[in-house]
Formats: sequence, structure tokens, C-alpha cells
Amino acid sequence: MFAVEAKNLKKTFKSKDGDVEAVKDVSFHVNEGEIFSILGPNGAGKSTTILMLTTLLRVTSGKGSILGLDVEKEDKKVREKIGIALQDTGLDNLLTGRELFFTTARLWGFTKQDAETRTSELLELVGLNEAADRRVKTYSGGMKRRLDLGLSLVHKPEVLFLDEPTTGLDPGSRRVLWDEIKRLREDGVTIILTTQYLEEADELADRISIIDNGLVVAEGTPDELKAQIGGDVITFIFNNYEDSKTAKDLILNSEIEGNELRVAVENGAEKIPDLLRKLSEKNLEVTSVSASKPSLDDVFLQVTGYRLEGASDQEVDSEKELSEYE
Amino acid sequence: MNNQSAPFFLQLGILTKRLLLRLARRPLAELPNVFISAFFLLIYDGALGGVFGGSASGTPFDFANGNFLNFILPVSIVSASVSGGASGIYLVEDIESGVFKRYQGMPISKWAIILAPIAVGAIRVLLQATLIMTLGNFIGADPATGNSGYFAVLAMAFFWGMGFAGYSVAAGVRSGSSQGAQAATFLFFPALFLAPTFTPRYALKGWLESAAAYNPTTYVLEGMRAIMIEGWVLDDILKGFLVAGGFAFITLTFAVFSARTATEKS
Ligand SMILES: Nc1ncnc2c1ncn2[C@@H]1O[C@H](COP(=O)(O)OP(=O)(O)OP(=O)(O)O)[C@@H](O)[C@H]1O
Ligand SMILES: [Mg+2]
Repeated sequence: MFAVEAKNLKKTFKSKDGDVEAVKDVSFHVNEGEIFSILGPNGAGKSTTILMLTTLLRVTSGKGSILGLDVEKEDKKVREKIGIALQDTGLDNLLTGRELFFTTARLWGFTKQDAETRTSELLELVGLNEAADRRVKTYSGGMKRRLDLGLSLVHKPEVLFLDEPTTGLDPGSRRVLWDEIKRLREDGVTIILTTQYLEEADELADRISIIDNGLVVAEGTPDELKAQIGGDVITFIFNNYEDSKTAKDLILNSEIEGNELRVAVENGAEKIPDLLRKLSEKNLEVTSVSASKPSLDDVFLQVTGYRLEGASDQEVDSEKELSEYE
Repeated sequence: MNNQSAPFFLQLGILTKRLLLRLARRPLAELPNVFISAFFLLIYDGALGGVFGGSASGTPFDFANGNFLNFILPVSIVSASVSGGASGIYLVEDIESGVFKRYQGMPISKWAIILAPIAVGAIRVLLQATLIMTLGNFIGADPATGNSGYFAVLAMAFFWGMGFAGYSVAAGVRSGSSQGAQAATFLFFPALFLAPTFTPRYALKGWLESAAAYNPTTYVLEGMRAIMIEGWVLDDILKGFLVAGGFAFITLTFAVFSARTATEKS
């Protein structure tokens, strides 16, 4: 039995201005104890997929199941097995972190005493002990994300859904969350995590599904995906954009981005002299050249035809989350 | 360790407590309505009590039976009970903040989610109406039915307030905005004055008298006034209860239907 299974999931939003096919055909399965990452740009259909699998949105067609339970027909049972941290967190700003944990535990059927115990455990787990009695309004973006993660864990779910848990966080806060997510996997929790950060998927995921435009365009372990491209990626840097553009026409299957030109080859060391000769014949001046193993970035480019915008450095919160946490 | 979800009434209790906690965290938001109701009670009595109070004895204007406070107190109580309209605002705030969605992902009854803000609205109505009556009693109101009359008035105010609670929940859920929920209060003010607010119906000018006949507020005011001024006059009191109760029944049913569509998955 799979922890999560999506079979030809499809979601069409109907509206007066026409239908939106948010998810066209998404299939994947997640093994128990795995971290599975759904990687895709804005509007790819990540959240819509998560909402269907977490019983919050009706499935247009196809089938989703959690630990063998159908997300449509057995939604109540499914909800007891899963923890959900949605992209836009619904946190009660007027209450304190402690109150939120306690209220949530009570709603899950904990006795007062058990709810108190669970509250302390979770405050400790997500590192919010010091801020526990402050109103959530005063929490930083990173703290809210950790609170949200903690709230999704109250009833000890077997399968955890995290929709873009680190979007908008600075690198330090992101790392703190990553460590927590890894710790949860060690405890045996299955985790489905969506992200638009390549290095997040690379760092955390056992397996990745890349979705674009409502369709799965690639799936596999990070290494498998990189191996699909094979060999090395050579990067040439030119003095100007004109040169890189001319170079693109000379080198088959290359992609440019500003002054940079990248091309995937089987063996970088063998190919570089060849290519450099070709370029100098046209009097193109190369300022630097390097070969590296392909990254997920390259995989993404290959399967979608474009680069994930701002893949490594998105807008970040200005707070120094890490130092605060320690 | 846990049974994966609390029983219904416990859920309702927990959610209600949470809303009360929110309310306690921003007490200033609750003040204006009770303040305005109290303020008008004093002003109306100060301005009109002299003419229509004891000195009206023996004149055709002795409709307050010597104590104008008994006549005007219901206006303030009715105005205070509009605070039930906050229910819809509480609900919409939770929809807007995403808290609603979080609850939908938990094994919680949707009825508990909808009833909790209505329960808090009810608590507000009872508190505010009691406050106004206490003030009224303190400055000289004396119900013809004795102190038990206050409880009858409170009960009528409660139904009336629940009517606004239901209305605001329905309007809020339908419009999906807190403004929509707040509209309940705006609707109320013209209604309060297209009624025998300051004098009995027979003393109103023709057009206003006809308008008042179609205004439910009229019957609630008259029901409360019967209790305050005349005694257990069943006819008027019953009409008041019927209108207030009917209003609550209609809007709460409407609220339940609206909320049901809102909680349905898209
Ligand atoms: N309720 C809705 N009604 C209509 N269209 C919707 C609705 N929800 C999502 N969509 C559309 O469906 C598509 C996929 O949206 P979705 O939120 O699943 O993307 P996403 O991958 O989560 O993106 P992001 O990274 O920005 O969160 C988008 O084009 C979006 O505009
Ligand atoms: Mg999303």
C-alpha cells in the first residue's frame, strides 16, 4: 500500500469567464516514510493537487488515496490520518501560540491534561517556547511557518502535507524548517512537500515530481533526474549578450541566459577544447568556462523548456531568523 | 490518548471559547454599540422625559403613564440587541484569515463552526441588553409587571438580536466580506426610526404611521412597552414575541442554508 497515490487527478474550476484546468493529469505515488516533493513554478497546480489530496477540494476526475483510503469517499477517515499546512496559513493573530496549540489539541479530542502535554511538546519541537505566550500577530514569518507546521502535527498524523513551507523565508529560517522536516521523516512520518525551490527539493526529497501547467513532466529521485540529462553541463561566460547569442547558434542544444551559455554534454573535459575552438574561430571571446554535474535547475530547464525564475534566491524576510531561533 | 475528535457540544464549546477570547483581546471593538445605546437612553430621557413624563399626567400625551423612561428604555434595548449582528463579522473574519479552511481540514462538525459565532452573538446580546436595563433601572425605570418584566423584555431582545445574528451570518457568508456582514447594522437604523420610536403609533403623522405598521421593529417596541408600562397585556406582548421570534427563525434558517453552500467543497 502506498502512503499517497494520485491516479490521473484532474481539476477544472468552472467560472463565468470560462473554465480553468488547474490540474490536467497528475499521477504519482508516495511510499511510506518518504519525503516526496512536488516541484513547479507559480500556477503549476501544486496547491490544487494538495487540496484535492487533503479532501479540501472536490476531484473533477481521477482518484486520490491516502493509506488506501479514498479522498472523496472516505474523507473523514483521511483527515484523521493526515496533517495539513496550507500555503496561506490561517492563523488566529489575536491568540497566542500556546492557545492555538491547546485549542487545536482539544478539537482533536485530547483531554485538557493531554492537550497541555501535547502543547508543551510541540512548542519545544518547533522552537517556539519563548514566544509561546505572545500573540501570533507579533511572530515573524518564519515563526508563523513553524507554528503552522506544529499545528499540523498535533494529532500525530502519519502523512503530512506541506504546501510551500519555506516560500518567502530567508535562507536561515529555511534551513531551520528543513532540519525539522528531516527530523519528522526520521520519526517515520511520510511527507509530501511542494516547493518552487530547486535546492529545497534536492536537499529534502527522496523523490521528486516536476509539474508544469497541470501536468507531470518528470519524476524520479534527484539523482535519476540529473542522470537523465547525463554527463556534464558546460557553462561559458561571454563579455556581452551579443556574443552569447551568436554562440548559441554555433552550439547545438545550448541555452543562454544573459552572458551565460549552458550546454549539456556527455563528457565535459573532452568537449570543452572542441567547443572553445569553434568559438574562437568566430572571434567570440570567452571570459570563463566551467564544467559541472547537472543540477536540478538543468533538469527543470530540459523538461519544461524554461528556467525556474529566481530558483535559488527569492524574496526573503529581512529578519534574522536563525539567530533568533538558537 | 485522543479520540481523533471532540464530541459536538465540546467542539461548539471550544470554538465559542476561542471567539470569546478573541473578543476579550479587543474590547474596544465591542464598546461603541453599548455606549451609543446607553448614551441615547440618557439623551432621550433628558430631552423628552420632561415633556412626556410626570408633567404629561392628565394630558393626551400621557402615553408613558407618568414615567417616560419605561417608554424609551425599549428603544435602547432594541438598539443594543443589534449587537447580535457581530456574529456574521466573526464568521467572515475566520473565512478571510483562512482559519475556517483550517477547521475544514479537521474532523470538526461544520455546524459547530457556524453555531459558535452565533452563540457568541447571543452572549453579546444578553450582556448588552442586561447592561442597558441595569442602567435604565438605576436611573428610574419601573416595569408595570415588576422585576420579572425585565426577564420578559430580555427574552424578546434575545430573539430580536438572534434575528440580526442570523441575518449577518447569511449576508457575510453570501458576500464573503465583513462589510456584507456589517450591513445588518446599517439596515437597522432606518428601521429603528420608521417606528413609534418617540411617541406611540397613533401620535405619528399619517405616512409614518403607515410605514411603521409594516416595520417589525414597531411590534417589538410595542411588546416591550406593554411589559414596561401596562402590565401583562398578552395581545401586544405575544405580537412582540411572534415578530422577534419569527425574525430570528427566518434569518437563522437563511443563515444555515447560506452557510451550507459556503462550506460545500468547490
Ligand atoms: N478557485 C480557483 N478558481 C479558479 N482558478 C483557480 C482556483 N484556484 C487555482 N486556480 C488556478 O489554477 C492554476 C493552478 O493554481 P495553483 O494554486 O494550484 O498553483 P500553484 O502551483 O500552487 O502555484 P503557486 O506556486 O503560485 O502557489 C492557476 O492558474 C490558478 O489561477
Ligand atoms: Mg500554491
